[in-house]
Amino acid sequence: MQYGMIIDVDKCVGCHACVIACKAEWEVPTQFDRNWVHRLGPSLTSDGMAATYYPGLCNHCEIPVCVPVCPADPVNVTFKDAKTGKTVTMEISATWKDPFNGTVQVDRERCIGCGACAEACPYDARFIDESLKDDTSLGKVDKCTYCMPRVAEGLEPACVQTCLARARIFGDLDDPNSEVSQYVKKGAVGLTSKAVQIGPHGLYYASKKGDMELLMQAAPQEMPKVSLRRSMLTRLTVAAQTHMKEIGLLGLAGGLLVQSVQDDDKE
Amino acid sequence: MATNLTRRNFLKAASIAAASVPLSQVTAKAQSGVVKAPLVSPGSFKNTQTAVGGVCEMCFWRCQLVGKVRDGRLIKLEGNPKSIDNGEAICARGNAGVAMLYDPDRLKYPLKNVGERGAPKWQRISWEEALDTCATKLKTIIDRDGAKGLCFFGHGSHAKYLMDFLERTVSTPNISEASFFQCRGVRDTAYLATLDIAPDENVDMANAKVIFFTGTHIGENIHLSHAKNYLRGLEQGAKLIVVDPRYSASAAKSHIWVQIRPGTDTAFVLAIMNYLIQNKKYNADFVEEHGEGFAEMAKGIREWTLEKAAEECDVPASQIKEVADLMAANMPHVAIHPGRHTTWYGNDFQRCRALACLTGLLGAIGCKGGLVLPKGPKGLTRINWPYVPHEEDSVLRDVADEHHFSPPGTPTELLRDAAISGKPYPIKGAVICGQNIMQCMPNQEKTIKMLKQMEFVLCVDIMPTDSTMYADILLPDCSYLEKSDFIKTGQQWDLGKDPQQYIAPRMPLVAPGFERKDSIWITNELAKRMGYGDKIPAQNQEELADKALAGVNLSLAKIKAEGGIHVQPGVSPYDDIDDLTVHFYNEDMEDEGYPPIPTYVPIEQPPQGFVRLVYGRTPLHTFNRTANNPWLVNEAKTNPLWVNDKLAARLGLKEGDTIKLTNQDGVTSPTTTTVKVTPGIREDVVYLYHGYGTKNPEMTQAVNRGIDDNSLITKIAVDPESGAHGMRNNFVKIVKVS
Repeated sequence: MQYGMIIDVDKCVGCHACVIACKAEWEVPTQFDRNWVHRLGPSLTSDGMAATYYPGLCNHCEIPVCVPVCPADPVNVTFKDAKTGKTVTMEISATWKDPFNGTVQVDRERCIGCGACAEACPYDARFIDESLKDDTSLGKVDKCTYCMPRVAEGLEPACVQTCLARARIFGDLDDPNSEVSQYVKKGAVGLTSKAVQIGPHGLYYASKKGDMELLMQAAPQEMPKVSLRRSMLTRLTVAAQTHMKEIGLLGLAGGLLVQSVQDDDKE
Repeated sequence: MATNLTRRNFLKAASIAAASVPLSQVTAKAQSGVVKAPLVSPGSFKNTQTAVGGVCEMCFWRCQLVGKVRDGRLIKLEGNPKSIDNGEAICARGNAGVAMLYDPDRLKYPLKNVGERGAPKWQRISWEEALDTCATKLKTIIDRDGAKGLCFFGHGSHAKYLMDFLERTVSTPNISEASFFQCRGVRDTAYLATLDIAPDENVDMANAKVIFFTGTHIGENIHLSHAKNYLRGLEQGAKLIVVDPRYSASAAKSHIWVQIRPGTDTAFVLAIMNYLIQNKKYNADFVEEHGEGFAEMAKGIREWTLEKAAEECDVPASQIKEVADLMAANMPHVAIHPGRHTTWYGNDFQRCRALACLTGLLGAIGCKGGLVLPKGPKGLTRINWPYVPHEEDSVLRDVADEHHFSPPGTPTELLRDAAISGKPYPIKGAVICGQNIMQCMPNQEKTIKMLKQMEFVLCVDIMPTDSTMYADILLPDCSYLEKSDFIKTGQQWDLGKDPQQYIAPRMPLVAPGFERKDSIWITNELAKRMGYGDKIPAQNQEELADKALAGVNLSLAKIKAEGGIHVQPGVSPYDDIDDLTVHFYNEDMEDEGYPPIPTYVPIEQPPQGFVRLVYGRTPLHTFNRTANNPWLVNEAKTNPLWVNDKLAARLGLKEGDTIKLTNQDGVTSPTTTTVKVTPGIREDVVYLYHGYGTKNPEMTQAVNRGIDDNSLITKIAVDPESGAHGMRNNFVKIVKVS
């Protein structure tokens, strides 16, 4: 199973309902968005004047470049297929690709907020909420989850439910009978370029050549260089913070010990 | 000790006053004394109650909602699954209703202005003092000058009950609604003068073969079921023709884009009609049966050849012919959209009338894909304030003997002129409810003059706006999510499907916060104090709704039990036109001295060095009403000026440059915006989204953001037939700031 999303821009009117529904559903801080709508054009294309929309979100890629760059300490997690009950145990960092449904997810508890995954994503689909900085992190990463908690309850993703024109279609790309697969047959494609070929599962359909041309211009043209230095520094910073705190606590404990010994002595 | 304020410690401290912090961050679980908030929100479905009966008012289309509520707090809004109108979908603004509800800038208490009008200093007062003051001040004016000494400006369902009280029972004739004189009134009166019906937007695009838009831009102006209707039409293969100087959202989906010279639309439509008539391509049977004065019109518009119109409109003659032929080949299934915000150039009555005549010429009425007569539910009891006739010689348009085809109410210019001059009678009291007159009526200086000469100004609103700055008393209304004041009715959005009707009364989804009171309570309390206590038609909002619903054997309780919407079998709107007459030539108009056949009235073109300023909508905002909504602001931070790429090159402007605008009267916009360079607009026009450039600092998100187009509309055009404002007749120069 590989969940994916089709955006039929013939039907999209650029109303942004998807963006705001997601914000409400997942209480995304006002200044961040898990998804977006960019108005493209009006511009001249090889097919004449054109204008369309680029509703974007995490593509839950086939080769998610965000996953291997995560420096969080790996843990063993057992995944279970909702349908067959089959299980798989994998070692994962704070972000991973689900072996059964193909979605890319994040464990915010273990995220150290280094931003390496956000930097690695050529689609700019992740953000770091620095206000969530705590004792173990510089913030927390967030992104589209394809609304897996809603889907598990039998609901549609929030953006799909609120789309007035059903320009967003969600489903299993591995199922040849699904509506999303029908769109693939009709010509829906991911926004890829020569340099960016990581198998996005967010696919776009436009019947007008000019619209497709604008969308392909919006595709990322190069893979971002992830600064490993940044993620390493983050690890050091977070470790140092924790360490400092431990030293502080040790000092405090030492102080208390001394105090208690002194108190004992008094008795 | 650690001095860093950690997230969890912060939340512990902030959770008491965290009115605008997401719920997941304030739902704290005590774990060994440490407050731990979930890092991931539980979503709208976990442990939430679904409150039914919501009717949206982020715009005026009024989609039906359910609210997801947790611990008395609204988490999310969704379309009501029972809705046969919007369904489970709502637009961005509808979704952002949550952020409006908890906007920290909202009005919370009754306020008294102890500063100046326009530069207010607010003092919190009790409801008792506020209502007593309002009643005394209004009564003093009525006792001295009569009810004609008061005026009212209002918009939306919040305003209706208060407006009816003032207009019907207090009997002031001076009522100006933005929806009539600054929006759709001219369209309705023009269609009434042509087809005897106000068209609303009852055009069956879903089943049309051709859809024709003049200046309509669905996609930027989102009315949800209307947009669904339009998209279904396109999906089913309808050909879309868009007439617009700008490559709008709908132009981008069109088959033919007519890049017309602004203000010449009537010439374009006349040429289509003339071509169809000359070539016998119109619906002769329909015209024979329903037409009146056809020969006179045919003769009167004969001068409008394709070539003449081509020159006037600055479009190829072949394109006008192509449009006309496409319509003829598909008639009568041609959806000629009557338009929404139709007040453009002060020649708008004639344009709207030409559109109605073209609809008649194609026989595109009461049929699939045509203009239809609405078939909503009947039988709701009319509950209203008792009607007391106006004083003689107090109806301004009668006194002035002008604007004989005016929509209900008083043309704004007549009202404003009378207030400023004191003639034919003084107007010294203003009541404003839900209408931001500073940003919807052109010529702000004049509006300020009008307000400054008042003895008393009362504003009732949910937000501080540029207009509430001029209030003496400012009362905090409940929002549409906190009250019941309106019953939305209608039919299924795709008229080709099984006919169904619905009745959806607005019900509160959450309790009102702070000291906010609904406008029915406010009006009743005012009425009691002004001596009209015995005339009150309903004691409270629930009684008002229940009395209306009694007419169809329903009640709020019954409809709540049905999921917030009552759905019943309906009636098809097709083939119900036996009584219809198309007045191609209108004798009444001739009697009043207006052109009796649709007539093109040319407008002034931009002087050398200037371009025309036009404005429109963004799907993220409803005028200025939503300008402060933090979620919407984040998506549409400013209103970039669309500038033609060749013009930009000549002026040395680049994408993203910061600019100001100066108009032909030397008025410079007090704020700035950025430039969007695009080939998708004519060189003689620039375009802005309306609703930006708020001046009131109490709107902390909106203040000084982008340019207020209305601040530059100093030259007023008034439609002679209807008295409506034309607001696209101002010319600007672009001034680069950085």
